[in-house]
Amino acid sequence: MAEVRDDLKYTETHEWVKIRENIAVVGITDHAQSELTDIVYVELPEEGKEVKKGDELCTVESVKSVSEIYAPVSGKIVKVNKELEDTPEVINKSPYDDGWLVEIEVKDKNELDSLLDAEGYKKII
Amino acid sequence: MKFRNVKLHLLVIPLWGFIMLKRSPLYPLHKKLGAKFTEFAGFEMPLQFTSIKEEHLTVRETVGLFDVSHMSNVWVTGREAEKLLSLTTIEDASRIKEERSQYTAILREDGTIIDDVIFLHIDKDRYMVIPNAGMDETVTSWLNEKAEEYNIDAEATNVSKDFVILAIQGPKSRDTLQKLTDVDLNTVGFFACRYANVSGEKCILSHTGYTGELGFELQVTPTDVAKHIFMDILEAGKEYNIKPIGLGARDTLRLEKCFLLAGNEFEGGHTPLEAMLSWAINWDHDFIGKEALIKQKEEGDYPRLTCLECIDKGIPRHGCEVEKNGEKIGVVSSGTMSPCLNKGIAMAYLNPGFQKEGLEVDIIIRGKPVKAKVVKPPFVKQDWLKTHKS
Repeated sequence: MAEVRDDLKYTETHEWVKIRENIAVVGITDHAQSELTDIVYVELPEEGKEVKKGDELCTVESVKSVSEIYAPVSGKIVKVNKELEDTPEVINKSPYDDGWLVEIEVKDKNELDSLLDAEGYKKII
Repeated sequence: MKFRNVKLHLLVIPLWGFIMLKRSPLYPLHKKLGAKFTEFAGFEMPLQFTSIKEEHLTVRETVGLFDVSHMSNVWVTGREAEKLLSLTTIEDASRIKEERSQYTAILREDGTIIDDVIFLHIDKDRYMVIPNAGMDETVTSWLNEKAEEYNIDAEATNVSKDFVILAIQGPKSRDTLQKLTDVDLNTVGFFACRYANVSGEKCILSHTGYTGELGFELQVTPTDVAKHIFMDILEAGKEYNIKPIGLGARDTLRLEKCFLLAGNEFEGGHTPLEAMLSWAINWDHDFIGKEALIKQKEEGDYPRLTCLECIDKGIPRHGCEVEKNGEKIGVVSSGTMSPCLNKGIAMAYLNPGFQKEGLEVDIIIRGKPVKAKVVKPPFVKQDWLKTHKS
């Protein structure tokens, strides 16, 4: 069974969000990485780029699939996980910790209310 | 996140689609072995059992077992079976003696490829032709139409449903299979074929494959004996850490060796001259499409399948455009991440004049140019395992 962490928020499109003050750390869920299988490439966005909730955030590729990751909240991308450029397989090994994708400076905290909690996410996978 | 599967072959039909997918007789066994499935040319086949990368490296390093029953089986029989194959393929079938097999292509009159096939010369006036998945009806009717049109005494019979095809591939494939047969596999040369008892069942055995490694293929009928052969091979290969292998790794293995995939490389109509198959054309005999090929060769102005290795990071995919100095010069027919090289690799049809080894081009991936260079096939050389180990 895929791991779903209680302290995170989720989207229906399999991104997770961890809130640290006004920063949202974003990644893909354990369920998503297991569906994708061997991740071999991540195309990360530029730091400083503004995104709107639902925008394409970055692209994750496995040997046989190309998947778009969507921004779960609006705001400015303040940090991207550059480690993934050389070791994308970290997402498979550690989707909730070392495999995080970007940090977004949250513009509107109200947007967080529409995200799923762990229970809600478990129901859709 | 949105999953977007990269097409493997021909058409991609969602699994929930209205078209009933065909399955291998070994489907329940694959399911039990934990396979993830994919649609491939109308078949629901294993995409992977554990991981594409892991399965890929297993075949390069030791041995892997594939069920490739989605491929087709067509008997060509009759007094003039040889004549029919010579007419309809780019090979002169009289060169291929009994118990030998040949890779070749079937062309339309305009020289474009209908399908690439292997034919096995089983015994006198009897050939087994192996077309690609989903091509059984097309090839069978084409052969029968041409037999009638040219008044040739031979007949093609589609027997795809009666056969399971197993491929055992990798440096340890011979050692593994040898445990299950009395035939001395060292005497079965490259592209030889013969009847052999494997695991107590009479199969057609050939020294062929689609991975570029040492390997054998088995045509098994009736299909209900295939399950125990499959399990016996897995058991025999245990000491080499044999694994069942899905179509995902089959695709990356063949692409590293620059073998063609019908749905990708023949899409839109390409001739053997365009598709890097000049070596397979036997010009000394008459065949359907020959005139068109001679004309094309004389004119010389045709796109050529070219091997590209990425310099920048990125994974080229089917359909990506290729540019030189901002001008479009071609399109990628197959692309992937090479598990052996850890680089993006692609085969692309490029305009004439852009085939020089070392030439730098841009592959456009999601709107961005990714630098790549022209390399000589294959991407992964024969000595990869040796150099990789040291």
